Amino acid sequence: MEALMQPVINGILLGGLYAVIALGLTTMFGIVKLVNLAHGDLMILSSYLSLALVTYLGINPFVSLIFVVPIMFVVGFALQKYLLNRVLGKEMEPPLLVAFGVSIILQNLLLLVFTPDAKGIMTVISVKTIQLGNIHLPVLYLADFVIGCLVIFFLRLFYNKSFLGRAIRAASDDVGAARLMGIDTSNIFAIAMGIAMITAAIAGVLVGMTFTFYPHTGPQYLIISFGVIIIGGLGSMRGAFVGGIILAEAQLLGAHFTGPGYQLLIGYAVLLIILAIRPQGLFGQAH
Amino acid sequence: MIREPFKYRWLVLGALFILLATLPVWGSDYMLLLGLLFCLYAALSQMWNLLTGYSGLLSLGQQAFIGFGGYTMAVTTSYYNINIWLSILAGGVTSVLLALFMSLFIFRMSGIFFAIGTWIFAEILMLWFSNWEYVKYGTGLFVKPPNPPSMTMIYYAALTMGVAALATVYLILRSKIGLGLMAMRDNEAVSSSMGVEIFRSKLFCFLVAAFITGTTAGVLYVFQIFIQPYKAFAIDWTVSLVFIVIIGGIGTIEGPIVGSLIFVLLSQYLSEYGHISLLLLGIIAIIIILVAPKGIMGTLQEKTGFELLSPRRLFSEEPG
Repeated sequence: MEALMQPVINGILLGGLYAVIALGLTTMFGIVKLVNLAHGDLMILSSYLSLALVTYLGINPFVSLIFVVPIMFVVGFALQKYLLNRVLGKEMEPPLLVAFGVSIILQNLLLLVFTPDAKGIMTVISVKTIQLGNIHLPVLYLADFVIGCLVIFFLRLFYNKSFLGRAIRAASDDVGAARLMGIDTSNIFAIAMGIAMITAAIAGVLVGMTFTFYPHTGPQYLIISFGVIIIGGLGSMRGAFVGGIILAEAQLLGAHFTGPGYQLLIGYAVLLIILAIRPQGLFGQAH
Repeated sequence: MIREPFKYRWLVLGALFILLATLPVWGSDYMLLLGLLFCLYAALSQMWNLLTGYSGLLSLGQQAFIGFGGYTMAVTTSYYNINIWLSILAGGVTSVLLALFMSLFIFRMSGIFFAIGTWIFAEILMLWFSNWEYVKYGTGLFVKPPNPPSMTMIYYAALTMGVAALATVYLILRSKIGLGLMAMRDNEAVSSSMGVEIFRSKLFCFLVAAFITGTTAGVLYVFQIFIQPYKAFAIDWTVSLVFIVIIGGIGTIEGPIVGSLIFVLLSQYLSEYGHISLLLLGIIAIIIILVAPKGIMGTLQEKTGFELLSPRRLFSEEPG
């Protein structure tokens, strides 16, 4: 029983990180009905940006967020405004394929600039743990979890309370009516994407500190995000949090019982079973 | 009443077929290689087009069948000394079984969930095969058939797959199922109430696509001699198929043919630039979606009414 406590607690902490990774994808899904297949690659782009800043300026990774967050906001804004908005329509494929193209471009761009070698952002807290009885709490995982909860809290606050957040949701509910009310929907969607990329930037820096990454790791995190969204339900932030924890638990407990080689496999298998039983996700509404 | 373009379309297709069929006689080894890749990509992309362009099933998991078919071929021929052509067919059969199993899960989902479901299946297979001792984990397998076929034989097998894929899509689209599929693609609710059996038609296309994709993968890996999970089950396959069909024209029969030709030539030409080649392919794909969302053949059809192979029956058309 005690041996189980370690993976269970790590799973909860890791789940917080998974939730932030998926947050940008799920909000864009909910608002623009857009499936951003480049989400994972944009997140890894943030990891590399942070790595470059840490390496050349010698600053702390958390400080690098001051630069990475605005850069990613602009990247997201431009991507939506000049590329994705132009193909949004009743057909699902064109925006999906444009995002796919962006994903391929980003991966190969990262490969050119940063080489295929494994990279990681080293910090003083990388190897520190807190001892609680027989359980070792990795400080980094704890930081991932706390920051993850904060990001979800503030994003919910933004979308529920602020004028801009409510304008974005209004535009998502009824584009025509929002336009009549004087809301420029194309800018609104671009801002929403910029905000999604802010969460991706934070997720990217956290992932960069927690795991090693390669130019091709993006799709792996995209699938994790999909898993979180599928379990938690479409466009639901609270669902993303629960989904993250369930997915991380499935992976870590799977690894605990069957060996690390099967960690990802068991996570995916749990995902498929949930999908087969409840195609709309645990928290999603049937449509 | 037979329209004028009728003659041209068989002329163009016949010329293309004769050109390809006689390629081993007059072409160099390099041209034979290009012809082989062209036929294989045409077959694979024809199947992706059947699913996405005609059946409304956006699949991001074609690599599941490529890897599964390829591995079935490699295992049966290298471990059990089974005739190479039978092994390739076995790859098609196991792919159909895999598709049946997958359908239990993914046919409950629609739209983007279906797409992600297929992709997750391919990822599961990749992880499973790279952890499986029987297929030598991630290090991969060499294909050692009892009687290794010559390059010309492999080429003709690839040509057979290309022609078979084209004929299959053509026949499906002109059958009752095909008409139902196109009605369903345009309006699922209405066509369903008019008596189109959506589920069975979609499942039928999914299984057919699995069979041809799995068999084509067998031919591909006989040519490549070596199969490895991280390559065989990689999303890169579907990326290439998407690129081919988008450039050629999604939802047209000629699109995959034109797209494959451009893709094979372009990737050969760009291969000396390494990673930049993929980067350029991505940029080209985005530009085409923005400028001509219907691809080369789709735009051509719209502008000139030119079609090589019409999925419509001629007698039901108004005389043009």
